[in-house]
Amino acid sequence: MLRPKHLHRTLELLLAGSLLLLLLGACARQDVTQAAKHDARDEAKAYYAAHPDFFHFKTPADLPANLAWEDGSELPEFADPAAKKGGTLNYYIPDFPRTLRTVGPDSNGSFRAWILDDNVMYYARRHPNLTSLTKNGFHYYPGVAEKWAVDRATKTVYIKLDPAARWSDGVPITSDDSLFAIFFYRTTYIRAPWYNNYYTTKFTGITRYDDHTFALHFPELRPDILALALENEPTPAHFYAEVGDDYPERYQWRFVPTSGPYQVRPADIDKGREVTLTHVKNWWAADKKFWRHRFNPDRVRLTVIRDNAKAFEAFRKGDIDYFGLSLAEYWYDKLPDSAPEVQAGYIHKIKFFNDIPHPTYGLWMNETRPLLDNRDIRVGIQYALNWDLVIRKFSRGDWTRMQTSADGFGEFTAPDIHARSFSVDQALASFAKAGFTKRGPDGILVNEAGTRLSVQVTTGYENLKDVLTILQEDAIKAGLELRVEVLDNTAAFKKAQEKKHDIEFSAWNVSPEMFPRYWETHHSANAYDNAFRPDGSVNPSRTIKTQTNNLQEIAYPELDRMIETYDKSDNIAEMKQLAFKIEQFIYDDASFSPGFDINYLRTGIWRWVGIPKAGNVKLATTFNEYSLYWIDEDAKQETKAAIQAGRTFAPVIQILDQYQQR
Amino acid sequence: MALNPLTLRKLRRFRSLRRGYWSFLLLMGLIVLSLLGELLVNNRALVVRSNGHWYFPTYGANLPGATFGFNYTYETDYRTLQARFRAEAKGDWVLMPWVPYGPNENTSYEGVFKPAPPSWLGAPPGHWLGTDTTGRDVFARLFYGFRIAIFFSLSFMVLTYLVGITIGCLMGYYGGAVDLIGQRLIEVWSNIPFLYMIIILFSVVPSTFGVGTRIGLLLAILVLFSWTSMTYYMRTATYREKSRDYAAAAVVLGAGPGRIIFHHILPNTISTIVTFMPFTVASAVTSITALDFLGFGLPPPTPSMGELLKQGTQTLTTAPWIVTSAFAALVFILVLVTFIGEAVREAFDPKKFTTYQ
Repeated sequence: MLRPKHLHRTLELLLAGSLLLLLLGACARQDVTQAAKHDARDEAKAYYAAHPDFFHFKTPADLPANLAWEDGSELPEFADPAAKKGGTLNYYIPDFPRTLRTVGPDSNGSFRAWILDDNVMYYARRHPNLTSLTKNGFHYYPGVAEKWAVDRATKTVYIKLDPAARWSDGVPITSDDSLFAIFFYRTTYIRAPWYNNYYTTKFTGITRYDDHTFALHFPELRPDILALALENEPTPAHFYAEVGDDYPERYQWRFVPTSGPYQVRPADIDKGREVTLTHVKNWWAADKKFWRHRFNPDRVRLTVIRDNAKAFEAFRKGDIDYFGLSLAEYWYDKLPDSAPEVQAGYIHKIKFFNDIPHPTYGLWMNETRPLLDNRDIRVGIQYALNWDLVIRKFSRGDWTRMQTSADGFGEFTAPDIHARSFSVDQALASFAKAGFTKRGPDGILVNEAGTRLSVQVTTGYENLKDVLTILQEDAIKAGLELRVEVLDNTAAFKKAQEKKHDIEFSAWNVSPEMFPRYWETHHSANAYDNAFRPDGSVNPSRTIKTQTNNLQEIAYPELDRMIETYDKSDNIAEMKQLAFKIEQFIYDDASFSPGFDINYLRTGIWRWVGIPKAGNVKLATTFNEYSLYWIDEDAKQETKAAIQAGRTFAPVIQILDQYQQR
Repeated sequence: MALNPLTLRKLRRFRSLRRGYWSFLLLMGLIVLSLLGELLVNNRALVVRSNGHWYFPTYGANLPGATFGFNYTYETDYRTLQARFRAEAKGDWVLMPWVPYGPNENTSYEGVFKPAPPSWLGAPPGHWLGTDTTGRDVFARLFYGFRIAIFFSLSFMVLTYLVGITIGCLMGYYGGAVDLIGQRLIEVWSNIPFLYMIIILFSVVPSTFGVGTRIGLLLAILVLFSWTSMTYYMRTATYREKSRDYAAAAVVLGAGPGRIIFHHILPNTISTIVTFMPFTVASAVTSITALDFLGFGLPPPTPSMGELLKQGTQTLTTAPWIVTSAFAALVFILVLVTFIGEAVREAFDPKKFTTYQ
């Protein structure tokens, strides 16, 4: 009970509190009014007006006649019509996403695939089974675009948007969103230099014809011009109206409206624990060819399970529906074919061979760090790493050695470059050139000044840390000490993004493009601000550039020149030659030690998860990438009942090797 | 050294408490054994007799393989050497330690790196407790893990008591403002969440630091956040002792505060502290294990029980021997320390030896 005196006190407090709230409210309202004054769409219009040589406005009458429109309608579908709609897919994420933004600081994490890469439709998407080349590159099927046409003479791609296309919040997708995308990705608000550069250099202009028709102009007629034009997502201008200098914080936890099937509703974010994706109600493309029979579950529930072993136990219990068994430990020991759940047919084991450029697992050496700034030491390290032992004894021979930084790009992969094999003698010879000739009492090499040959290797791959302990043990034979640091996934990524690592053990997910990219990972612009003086000499006051993919901090004017020529070339033969030369340069520089390729997906799925007959598509990099599976709720009930009753089904262990490269 | 007869009686009492005393002897024995660890559990040979020369590789510098006619310059593989000498039968021989595996050495099982079961369960001989996920000998890792953990804990104890006792005594002796301000500072300090501090501090530790430095740093951080609890006991004990006549007599005789605190008051309060010691050691072993388990402890590949426990929980179904061994070892050590603690507490119990009239 509150006595009157206390009541008085309480009233006072309440009054003070409400006054404070009022004040705060007033401030907030002021903020809102300020934001209302600032509409990024107006800013964008002013930007268009200020850049008339880039942004053109014409009428449909100005469209060239005789354009050869394509719409991919002749291509075969790849989803399985037997797919069942509905249900909830339960899966896990190892780490809670740091943001829901799809661009800007911390947005390039693994969660992005769920809301961006695998979810959005793009103007058109590459057909994942037909990988042959046409005159304009790969085969495409329509996304938000209805059709497109290439005008080779003017190096222009015309795109007609589907009038039915809608953002997930119901707003129609129009050409204005396409124009806005260019403005948006060029602003400094987004704190994303990669996007700034990409949207400044890759296009020479954009022309708006009407609400649904526009054209993108290119500086060169690159072999993959269609990929450059079509594999882009327009940007919801209405959503980004408030974009300003506070973009990273303002949009931190706001879901970007998407053209794709799944959205994240604010109520479905349980910070630190769980994110749920929900199917967009009446998704506009639900019955479109190439999009139907996919994205079947109504909801995708992603629970944070930080530990792989724990996630596996959750999978065994049926709390999550599928689990990657690519590691030998899981496929052979933890869930062997003889496991009771497998033999009873509750869990199916699927090994599916894909055919794509694979994630670049290897050691990325930071050339700005002591010791690693010496090429002889880097070469020595290359020889001191026993990847073959890892492949033979850790993966049990299932992996293959990666040879270059761009394996799997077909004709664009240099055939004559082979990664250095483990050789103590060659490692010692190379270390000796750098002055490390004597072994210390612990077997680690020491130079004249008494410095030990010791470097740190950082990784965020908890489940691959054994790879490093194996490398570490054998490196000692070559007199090299590797100090292993296993961090949380996000922390390791952050460390590498801030270029604070000595050596990073990680992999870039490579999308199945026509030819490898080098600018992101190997151009000096991503290593330093103002790396070189105009005369080509090293700028002594250059500063390290963070938040880029150049983990090697590799910066050489001659490499820059090759990459620039390569990025501008429209000649496949010339590009191939350059790709080989660049690869040779990277080999000689020795700051990337290629690790291993994993050319298959091994997955355990509960029997209520349906998959197409082919298993997956040729270009699949993960089980869920093309979202071809479905959840059969009836089968789930049946299975749960069967487990209770002890009934069993026929075991299913499938090896799907139709796309295996032999 | 002449011991206070009272202390002697306490020690005699401790000896008469069989369980605690034997635990103490066993633990001391283990610590001494672990100091000689390189002679017992090691992949370096104890003695090599080759071409009329004697070699004692255990504590010396690496002997490259070339020394014994192998064609490599890195450290000799003594098990292979032993096998070779036996095959050659020229009178050369190698004496290997009792467990001929190092704690960081990967050995393959069935041609691949995976956990091998203990040898008495039918696996190839050599690994008494089996191997871990990359084929390292579990016994060797536990053995060296114990050595690191126990010395870590002992140094932890010494350092926390040094800081805690000094500050506690000063507060109790001077009282007044020193006590008041000191107490508030300690309250603030002890409310800093220590695990977060470890995580934060370790994320900014330069990567160039070696393993030894990192262990030292971990010790320093742990001490930094653990000394406060000791001050409370010492503060009250000092308050009590300070008001006794002998303290006043010392003041009258002109003794300085340092002398009074460390020569007069401390010996009379020590019995409180002694009973805490084993429990401090036990909690230090637990916390270093927990930190390793969480991945914030000793850097890999340092052998540690926490790291083995972690591996064990991840391979519960496929390699139960990892978690069983690590768990059993941890429990064994903690039980020993706790038995010692109980006995010390009983032996030093003032109720038994009180001299109050």
